[in-house]
Amino acid sequence: MTASTGTAHPRRATRRDPVFRVTSAAPRRARDKPVRSYWRQYLAISPFYAIFLVFGLFPLGFTLYLSFQRWDGLGDMQFVGLEQYRYLIHDSVFWHSLRNTLSIWVLSTIPMLCIALVLATMLQSSVRFTGFYRIAYYVPNVTSIVSAAIVFGSIFATQFGLLNAALHALHISEVNWLREPWGMKIAVATLSTWQWTGYNALIYLAGLQTIPTELYEAARVDGAGPIQCFLRITVPLMRPVILFTVIVSTVTGLQTFTEPQVLFGSNASTNPNSGGPGQGALTMVLYFYHQAFDNRDYGYGAAIAWAVFLIVTLFTIINWRLVQRRKEA
Amino acid sequence: MDITRRDLLRYSLIGATGVALGPLAGCGSDSSDKASSSSGGSSGEASTADLALWYWGGGLSDKVVADASTHFPNIKVTATQIGGNFKEKLLTTMTGGQGVPDITGIKGEDIASFLSSADQFVDLRELGADSLASKYLAWKWKQGSTVDGKLIGFPIDIGPTALYYRPDIYEQAGLPTDPAAVGTAFATWEAFFDAGVELQAKVPGTFMLTDAGGVFTLAIGQGAQRFVDPSNTFIGDGEHVRRAFELAAKTVELGIDGRLAGEDYNAALDSGTLPSIIGAAWLGLDIKSAAKASVGKWKVAPGPGGASNIGGSFLAIPKSSSDPKAAFEVITWLLSPENQARGFTDASLFPSTPEAYAMPALTAPDPFFGGQATIEVFGPAAKSIPEFYEGPYDAAIAAPYYNEVTNIESGKSLEDAWADAVSEGKKIAKKQGVKTS
Repeated sequence: MTASTGTAHPRRATRRDPVFRVTSAAPRRARDKPVRSYWRQYLAISPFYAIFLVFGLFPLGFTLYLSFQRWDGLGDMQFVGLEQYRYLIHDSVFWHSLRNTLSIWVLSTIPMLCIALVLATMLQSSVRFTGFYRIAYYVPNVTSIVSAAIVFGSIFATQFGLLNAALHALHISEVNWLREPWGMKIAVATLSTWQWTGYNALIYLAGLQTIPTELYEAARVDGAGPIQCFLRITVPLMRPVILFTVIVSTVTGLQTFTEPQVLFGSNASTNPNSGGPGQGALTMVLYFYHQAFDNRDYGYGAAIAWAVFLIVTLFTIINWRLVQRRKEA
Repeated sequence: MDITRRDLLRYSLIGATGVALGPLAGCGSDSSDKASSSSGGSSGEASTADLALWYWGGGLSDKVVADASTHFPNIKVTATQIGGNFKEKLLTTMTGGQGVPDITGIKGEDIASFLSSADQFVDLRELGADSLASKYLAWKWKQGSTVDGKLIGFPIDIGPTALYYRPDIYEQAGLPTDPAAVGTAFATWEAFFDAGVELQAKVPGTFMLTDAGGVFTLAIGQGAQRFVDPSNTFIGDGEHVRRAFELAAKTVELGIDGRLAGEDYNAALDSGTLPSIIGAAWLGLDIKSAAKASVGKWKVAPGPGGASNIGGSFLAIPKSSSDPKAAFEVITWLLSPENQARGFTDASLFPSTPEAYAMPALTAPDPFFGGQATIEVFGPAAKSIPEFYEGPYDAAIAAPYYNEVTNIESGKSLEDAWADAVSEGKKIAKKQGVKTS
């Protein structure tokens, strides 16, 4: 079904029509009954909404309120109007963190999704141990990011790290991964790529399984090889699934936090959570955390959080527009 | 089936109401608690107090804490080790007003920020802290006090700094090896840096110190001023900061900084490529855990440029404490010179009471340091740390300086880095309501 949404829109619309008519009969009859007679159903779904209200909507609203205040977390709040936002616009560190976040996002999302698609195709065609492979690729996603970051920290270590040992063996000059601006970004991006590739591969796998095998069979009859099948059938039919993963990766990638926090000295008593040397891995959310929880500047932290929200929204809209345009084309 | 489901719903509804009403009930009992305890406190020591104590793993000696309840028959101390970000959890709890501990630990790096919320804590002078002041290091006492003299944090441990070094590597470079000789030879930063150049020439691939940022921290800590003065004026452009900044830059210029982190750092300590490191008394533990091959090969000497303090912590009594009087009694017992000496043995907490420095727990020779009694270095260092003032926003204002020091490492010029650090520091200070000229 997912595959068909991307390819044949006019047909999908007509196919949906009768279905809609059939189901629409039931709600009409139900509409006669008062809403409160459904209290059991509402009660059944209420835990999600109650939790969302307390831990989702309320903090969201409170953060907006906080962003117009000056507050150290303990004393009285002081209304400062748009002062926090005014400071934010002129805060070079924030823009630096935005650039860092975007670089890390690009460095992680592109390889992550490419590898995931290839992996999914391979998983699809694997004959033996399919369950094992699927679980194996998903394990990084449920591994504690903190312990993973510690392992990656030793992989990227300059003098005694695995990666530099490999570079050394290949006679390539070693890189000071955890201190050079780009090395740091690559380290963070690699960590999130490692963590999310399996997740995306499983989503792709689900998408792949909706592609009718007849298409491949027909292609093969016409003499198409596996690479042609992948590029001409798999990729076009997977477009909606790919766009879904792009949006999800955008939303999570722009909120990268734990990876740089753990990799670059969260425990340091001086200058904690600064994103490492030269603030090379300072992401927007890490900067927000630093302002709110290290500097106790909750008002400013809230303003940063809203800026992050707006930026994520902006990128989601851009992605959305790309989807729309593709549909029209 | 239908009935049981309905029952289930009903019970869950009751449960939900209970949860919703819980905090309300808590609010009611909270105020009555306070009333009863304050009257109980004034009527005498006969009443039993139940005190909640918050600290972090290794923040106090677990054994001393466990003994507190037996030592005070009328006081029940319920100690909880809080994991994760301690300051954040304490702040959140205090803001929420529920389950606030009666006694809480405060880390040294957070105390200045908590002093700006002094009204949320009990002034320990009101409970008779003044009479104990002479037993504790004056600078540490001042660090736990507000500008107008309220004592908020009672001293737990301190982090006096010294130079940890490897005599075997120093010897290869023709540098002094005896702690006293090292102390005299490297009395100034300049002499230490020169020795670093010499070390690198004689033993290639070695570094005299970890990183430039560390030098900046230490050099600032050796003075009485930080980034804001007691009248809340920005002094981050002052001579003392400039001097520390120049020293940090100098290490980069000379190339004697190892710039090591994580695994590299541990490996370098053990292998001898980092034969010296300046750090607080508690750093000895880190070196011990990193060292496998170098056990017994380390020594401690007075550090270049004098001693400074890194870390350390305090105990404080939040305003909502059910029985501040009993809480203060527990605190003074937990942190008496004898118990601080035990804390040193159990958790490597360096005492803030000079009296403890003469106790066997501290004077014992340490085999890891080749049988040296390190207290002979750390004791005088602890006493020589100058009194200083740290503003509540010092850590935030200091951040750009540290970032610019790392920028110097990646090739930025000293003057550019300094100008950017000062302008950014000033901007942050201004934002936090600090006066800037």
